[in-house]
Amino acid sequence: MGKVYVLGGAQTDFERNWKKEGKNMVALLKEVVADGLADAEITLDDVRTLNKDNRVACFVGNFIAEKYTDQGHLGAFLTEVDPAFYGVPSARYEAACASSSVALDAAQSKIVSGEYDVAIVVGWELMKTVDSKLGGDFLGRAAYYEKEGKGIDLPFPKLFGRLADETLKKYPDLDEKCYMDALARISTINYENAKRNPLSQTRKWFMSFEQASTRDTDTNPLVGGKLAVSDCSQVTDGAAIVVLCSEKFIKERGIAGKPIIKGYGHRTAPMLFDKKMADNADSDYILPWTRQTVLDAYRRSGLTVDDIDCFETHDCFTSSEYAAISSFGITAPGKEYEAIENGTISFRGAKPINPSGGLIGCGHPVGASGARMFLDLYKQVTGKADAYQVAGAKNAMMLNIGGSATTNYVYVVGLE
Amino acid sequence: MLNIQTVTVIGATGTMGANVAGIFASFGNAKVYCVARDLNKVKKTIPRIVKSVRADSIAHNLIPADFGMLEECVANSDLVFESAAESIEIKKSIHSKIAEALKENSVACTGTSGLSITSLAECYPDALRTHFFGVHFFNPPYNMPLCEFTPTRYSDKGTGEEIKNYLKDTLFRTVVEVKDSPAFLGNRIGFQFINEALQYAEKYKDNGGIDYIDALLGSFTGRSMAPLVTSDFVGLDVHKAIVDNVYENTNDYARDTFVLPDYVKKLVEENKLGRKSGMGLYQMIRYENGFKRNTVLDINTGLYRDVIPYAFPFVDKMKKYIKEGDYEKAFERLINNRSQEAEICLSFLLKYIVYSLYATEEVGYTIEAADDVMATGFNWCPPLAMYQALSTVANVPSLIRERLPEICKKVDIDRLLADVKASKYDYRLYFKSGR
Repeated sequence: MGKVYVLGGAQTDFERNWKKEGKNMVALLKEVVADGLADAEITLDDVRTLNKDNRVACFVGNFIAEKYTDQGHLGAFLTEVDPAFYGVPSARYEAACASSSVALDAAQSKIVSGEYDVAIVVGWELMKTVDSKLGGDFLGRAAYYEKEGKGIDLPFPKLFGRLADETLKKYPDLDEKCYMDALARISTINYENAKRNPLSQTRKWFMSFEQASTRDTDTNPLVGGKLAVSDCSQVTDGAAIVVLCSEKFIKERGIAGKPIIKGYGHRTAPMLFDKKMADNADSDYILPWTRQTVLDAYRRSGLTVDDIDCFETHDCFTSSEYAAISSFGITAPGKEYEAIENGTISFRGAKPINPSGGLIGCGHPVGASGARMFLDLYKQVTGKADAYQVAGAKNAMMLNIGGSATTNYVYVVGLE
Repeated sequence: MLNIQTVTVIGATGTMGANVAGIFASFGNAKVYCVARDLNKVKKTIPRIVKSVRADSIAHNLIPADFGMLEECVANSDLVFESAAESIEIKKSIHSKIAEALKENSVACTGTSGLSITSLAECYPDALRTHFFGVHFFNPPYNMPLCEFTPTRYSDKGTGEEIKNYLKDTLFRTVVEVKDSPAFLGNRIGFQFINEALQYAEKYKDNGGIDYIDALLGSFTGRSMAPLVTSDFVGLDVHKAIVDNVYENTNDYARDTFVLPDYVKKLVEENKLGRKSGMGLYQMIRYENGFKRNTVLDINTGLYRDVIPYAFPFVDKMKKYIKEGDYEKAFERLINNRSQEAEICLSFLLKYIVYSLYATEEVGYTIEAADDVMATGFNWCPPLAMYQALSTVANVPSLIRERLPEICKKVDIDRLLADVKASKYDYRLYFKSGR
């Protein structure tokens, strides 16, 4: 099987509000494409030349621009970025918050199969175009909207609030205060990590364990069951891009030192949250298909948790990061709090999770998150993460989920 | 070793005092004595402080106090931050009181936005004078991380370094060390621009004046708020205090641009100070049915009239380009359009670059200081980034020589421009489309 190399990429500053700047999706795409290609050392002339022989393609991840910006047919929009993209094959991929992971998967397949040599993967979402109530309703379409979203205020916080309830139910030995404090620590760690990331959404925000663990207050109201605002990622605008290429291209150009995709996993759990929970009865894991996705990626990469130096996970809510800890194999299921309390997952711990700040700290422009995580894996294993660099990282893993952990995607990026 | 557990903020009911107390109590997790004249007013301010950092969990860190308790608060504090009214007499009397109670190893700071820090340091006996600094936050500090840090000739170097590190690493401030010079660096550069815009409004009063100039220097020129709206927002009294101070106590090539125009003096005298007093350069009229009318002072008549929705071809075109991320085309349009309006606009941006380079040499220590203060204290496209932005389509030194011949006679432009470096700030964030 052919190898897939990662040449580089970029993300926009997730603090930005593009509506306030009076800029549209074309502006967003122009900026991220210019920055990403520059980082990957691919010029627009390269794109033109490669395209003559049909060697380059674009893969766009986006969840629901039809709602947020009244725009569909998103794959075609790179032609608005620059005429160099005229004629370049390009399409949009969607799997809710895992949209850009599915775009990445399409891209890697085309490179593995030898059809294209360079794949440009862009994920984006502009979410600040509407108020949070309406935006929350749009996001309900990542669940079974008619049954789990329609007419419900903020359906997703409620679904992940239920994940918290179900976690406590599944592990009767898990003390509620211990669990809720562990969730507050997850939030605090993500905010702390985001302070080191110059492109994170919350780098100026204040958060402390005390603030995160004191729920149901004016500044930390409950939003879904036991979960409060501090347990949630926030509405974010942004885009992320990564450029992948074939071994042939690496050799042609004499490029060295670039990491490869070592493995991936992709599994789809039952759509409905209730069915997901019913489905876990025979498993030790609350989200068995999430765990299976990680196992698939370990198998494909020939690596184990011992080989992974840092993780980026999908902490859309603290309860999803909690479940990810055992899914990664860092602890046994039900014992996740140990890795939180003893500092294992902290920035300087043995298995740091979300050095970037994750979705809670760095931000969660839903269609961009998969590409953003993947970009962070690239930065970590190539030593380009600056202030949030995990020292000596060689292999890194990401987990990107869509819906209530319905679509599950895992990638392992590492040096050869 | 500095260990800041307890802080006293004096003037805690003022906008700056309250917001700074919030920063110490949250990021610093310090116990903060919030001191002001009226204890009840302090108590009422506490919820506002909590809200300013969006964290109820800091409420227990905030302890209301009045001047009767000042001595005890200071005696218990590792750091004392004075944020009293901008009057040297008031500040001196407060610092003399602090000096009587301050612990030997504690630190005292003034938040003055431009008064002489050295003369305030002299309120302290020799042993404490070494621990006195200027620490100038920008408003609102939760969104504007800039902190201008000013040691005096008496300051202890080691303590200064420790305070800087505390501001940087614990309070997450962008710390810029500046000299004890009127208005320091951010306001020197920012208010030069804003005050000259006020002067231009007078000069072009027959073209519309205030809203005419704001229409030429709006968000599409690299800022969130047009300059004269900013002045109204800050308060014309505060604006006057800053520019008067610079005018009286400095003498550089741009000194005349710090003269406050008569129509603004008159507004200040009539207590029409801007947004906080309901009217100033602008007046928003609200009707009972919810309808709002944005009016502006007509300099000729002294009356408020509706803001004019100006439509200048170069502005409309620039906004259209910026909306789609075509920054270079927008700058090209600005430079190639030779209408009076485009020339005013471009000359302001070029003067801003030159004055920033000049002022940072005089007040700052590095060329990057000008960038840090304007990006993190004003949220304006900082000067080096502005230089970079215009460089995408033009040779900026030639442009400056061509468009600012008078200024080029007064300053050594070659030497100033020789220091220009790439900015660490991304100019694209600052150029906005829309209003």
